[in-house]
Amino acid sequence: MSGEGREVVRAENLVKDFRVGFGIRKRRVLSDVSFAAHEGEIFGFVGPNGAGKTTTLKVLMGLVRPTSGSASILGRNVAESEFRDQIGFLPENPYFYPFLTAREILDFYARLSGVEARGRAARVEELLALVHLESAADARLKTYSKGMLQRVGVAQALIHDPSVVFLDEPMSGLDPIGRREVREVILALRAAGKTVFMNTHILSDVEMICDRVAIIVKGAIRREGRIGDLVGSGTHDTQIVATGLPAATAGELESRHGAKLRGQGDRIEIQLSEKEVERALATVVQSGARVVSVASLRPSLEDVFMDAVRSAEEVR
Amino acid sequence: MTKSLVRIHALATNTFREAIRNKLLYALLGFSVVMIAAGALISTLSYVEVDEILQDMGMAAIRLFSAGIAIFVGVGLIHDEVERRTIFTILSKPVTRSEFLVGKWAGLTFTVWLQLLLMTLAFAVVSLLAGADLTLRHGVAVGLLGLELMVLVAVATLFSSFTTPMLASFYTFGIWLIGHLSRDLYLLGQQSDSDSVSRVASAIYAVLPDFEIFNKTLEAVHGLPIQGHEVGFALLYAAGYASATLILASSIFARRDLK
Repeated sequence: MSGEGREVVRAENLVKDFRVGFGIRKRRVLSDVSFAAHEGEIFGFVGPNGAGKTTTLKVLMGLVRPTSGSASILGRNVAESEFRDQIGFLPENPYFYPFLTAREILDFYARLSGVEARGRAARVEELLALVHLESAADARLKTYSKGMLQRVGVAQALIHDPSVVFLDEPMSGLDPIGRREVREVILALRAAGKTVFMNTHILSDVEMICDRVAIIVKGAIRREGRIGDLVGSGTHDTQIVATGLPAATAGELESRHGAKLRGQGDRIEIQLSEKEVERALATVVQSGARVVSVASLRPSLEDVFMDAVRSAEEVR
Repeated sequence: MTKSLVRIHALATNTFREAIRNKLLYALLGFSVVMIAAGALISTLSYVEVDEILQDMGMAAIRLFSAGIAIFVGVGLIHDEVERRTIFTILSKPVTRSEFLVGKWAGLTFTVWLQLLLMTLAFAVVSLLAGADLTLRHGVAVGLLGLELMVLVAVATLFSSFTTPMLASFYTFGIWLIGHLSRDLYLLGQQSDSDSVSRVASAIYAVLPDFEIFNKTLEAVHGLPIQGHEVGFALLYAAGYASATLILASSIFARRDLK
């Protein structure tokens, strides 16, 4: 996946203030949001709760107007509505008319999206099958569980075969099987050349399926890039695992190579700087100990995320 | 244009479906039928104009209950969509906010028209059983009431687009009440010696709806003539007032942040 196609979603210096307390005071929710998602990639929009993820998504959906800055999808201003037959949207914890059945509501959204009458019924059946709701298709939505409603949400977002799909916390409320199914749907969308913009705070999902991410903290983008680049930047520690390490050698590793040692019984984990690895390894081997493994401790996306949160706190 | 109509039709159909699946609406409808039938009992207390009393009460019950249903459902029409966040997925489709408002208004107008039809049927049955006359004038009076309800739903939609159902119901009920008195207020103002009072009364009359344009109960019940030009004017007035109200609602709603 190249992930460097044309820009499909673009936000430039988005600022959003909400009026609070009888409209006298203002609360800044977005202070500087700029990013770009490219054609055919899964773009993860990551941030802690209250960071401004959903507000940004609402700006992109035209539900909230930015105080300043601009946003576009497929080159069109987000305030327009005609191009929206090319986008799909799953809101966080979606709520649907409880008096309708899944089949009725998908037909309703298909009509709104401009799906031709001729193929509409077949398209509804196709989506019901995709989200495994065929057997419950004629039950009223008020009888649905949270996970089933989430599936309806996914189906309505895809009913008109959009080229860009926006998902706000798509795994929310799903059991492990449901999460896996949604992940597979998202990957299938990418395989079909669609662009997926995913709001989430579940980093394991992001690491597993996203091509690029933007990390938003306190209303501003703190990091943006390909996951490999974000977690691969900077120097990392290395971990050597050894058995049968003499006590004197352990002391030498700590004093001469700045290593941190921990372990239980015969098995010792030696964590040290990347540049010390060769000399430390020689010391370990010469002591007669057995080297079990050597591994680079690359930072995880969680480390990058926490670093972004910490630096946002420091700026404050 | 065609695509826009398809979307408005989908929204209207859905609003209608939601309304007719609301059990409370059936309770209101049932109560209104009881009130219409009660007119037959009350009219027996009089020795004169028994039929007129029966039909006066019946038409009043229809007007009151149909307006009540329009206000009751109308005030939550937009607010509930925002509160329940059902609007998020709808506006993420190629649906403009104006189409959304017009679709909701059309759906509810159709619902109250259907309720009006059912109440009218009950009224006709009670009248026939009591041996009271039923003429085309009754049909015209009910038709004009339908236009009044169309305007009232537009007013409810306007308030629902920016305030809570509680406040919207106060405002809409107030407008409905004043709408039946606005012509009297205007005439009162014209009789004043003060120019400013007269001008204020004219301005208020121009802004507020005149629901008495749609009230031909007296003519229907007492067999008085209803002129064709009055019906024509009522049609134009209803279309103009409802359109202006929906345009105002759209311009307010377009500026709202849907948090």
